[in-house]
Amino acid sequence: MHDTAFNELADLALKGSGQTLVPSKAYLISARLAPIARREGFGAMEDLVHCIKARANPVLVAEVTAAMLSKDTGFFRERDQLSHAVNDVLAARLAAVPGKPRVWCAGGSTGQEAYSLALLMAEAGLTEQIELVSTDLCKVATDKARAGVYNHYDAQMGLSIHRLLAHFNKLQSGEWQVSEALRTPIGFRVHNLLETASGLGKFDVIFCRHVLSGMSRTARARVAEHLAGALQVGGMIYLGRGETFHGLTDRFEPARDLDGVWVAAGTANTAAARAAGG
Amino acid sequence: MKTCLVVDDSRVVRKVAARILRDMNFEIVEAGDGAEALTHCRARMPDAVLLDWNMPVMNGLDFLRALRREPGGKAPVVVLCSIENDPEHIHEALRSGANEFIMKPFDADILESKFAEVGLV
Repeated sequence: MHDTAFNELADLALKGSGQTLVPSKAYLISARLAPIARREGFGAMEDLVHCIKARANPVLVAEVTAAMLSKDTGFFRERDQLSHAVNDVLAARLAAVPGKPRVWCAGGSTGQEAYSLALLMAEAGLTEQIELVSTDLCKVATDKARAGVYNHYDAQMGLSIHRLLAHFNKLQSGEWQVSEALRTPIGFRVHNLLETASGLGKFDVIFCRHVLSGMSRTARARVAEHLAGALQVGGMIYLGRGETFHGLTDRFEPARDLDGVWVAAGTANTAAARAAGG
Repeated sequence: MKTCLVVDDSRVVRKVAARILRDMNFEIVEAGDGAEALTHCRARMPDAVLLDWNMPVMNGLDFLRALRREPGGKAPVVVLCSIENDPEHIHEALRSGANEFIMKPFDADILESKFAEVGLV
């Protein structure tokens, strides 16, 4: 891919999703966009970029922006965080306060994170008592998440055979589909984290893992503010390993009990006391 | 170092699996069918068995049932692999004493993920 075409795409990504693309990953971007270029009848990536520049079709621009994002995910990634959220935080919240706690997978990609949480909730008998929402910028990923259909590679990554048999059905195609009982209670929606999340309501638990790390500093700070606005009083946010809110916003501080868990600034001590049953 | 017995009638599959498992720090013993595998187990019980289902002489399921009746034969963690992956087949494998099940074909990521599920890595 020519430098000018790459720069155009990098600009598109930064504006559309806050992602920073580095030239060394140009091959990855080419690979992710190849199916769209082929479908639109463009022989070279440059032609696709020229077309977008010449006549910006918002649908195509959104599709290209979404396609450039990493979709990398899997079942039960960093599972200590998932089990902390369900078995400690949410279980304690249910015991202490009436009402239905809400959980948000922000940047939930193809749904594995949300289904892992749903599976833990089912195993703890909490399915009916917790509301789960998963959003992603990419419509294709969101549709895939909603369908809950995974090929035999994805269905084996992070998922024990016991959980696969208990919560998935094998389709004629050889793929595996998440059971209706697990799928239907989850709200899958397209949402751009650069935009305000006020339409989604407030959440007691937010997962936003491996989303911030690919973003520009400005975009990260903006997303952090939106997450802060969506966090219920006493709520918790989970970031991916190596990700931090430090230097982006002063609205959060690290929780005391587990790495990567953040609470509203000034509340870490009370949160730790609550988790300890104090 | 933990030992893993790799049982498959395909020499190529055995070599590929052995290579991945050595990278995961296992000491590898290979067997070409269930009967050969059982001989190995009687000499020295492995910590893990990566076991193909369809093999000549003694298939994976017959080996697994025989293994579980051996003295000390309940200890090894057995991961059964098969191209047959209908739920009924998988249930039968688990009833026969398999700890995990891998749908073929698999790669290093799947092997590592499944070994992690049963606490081997």
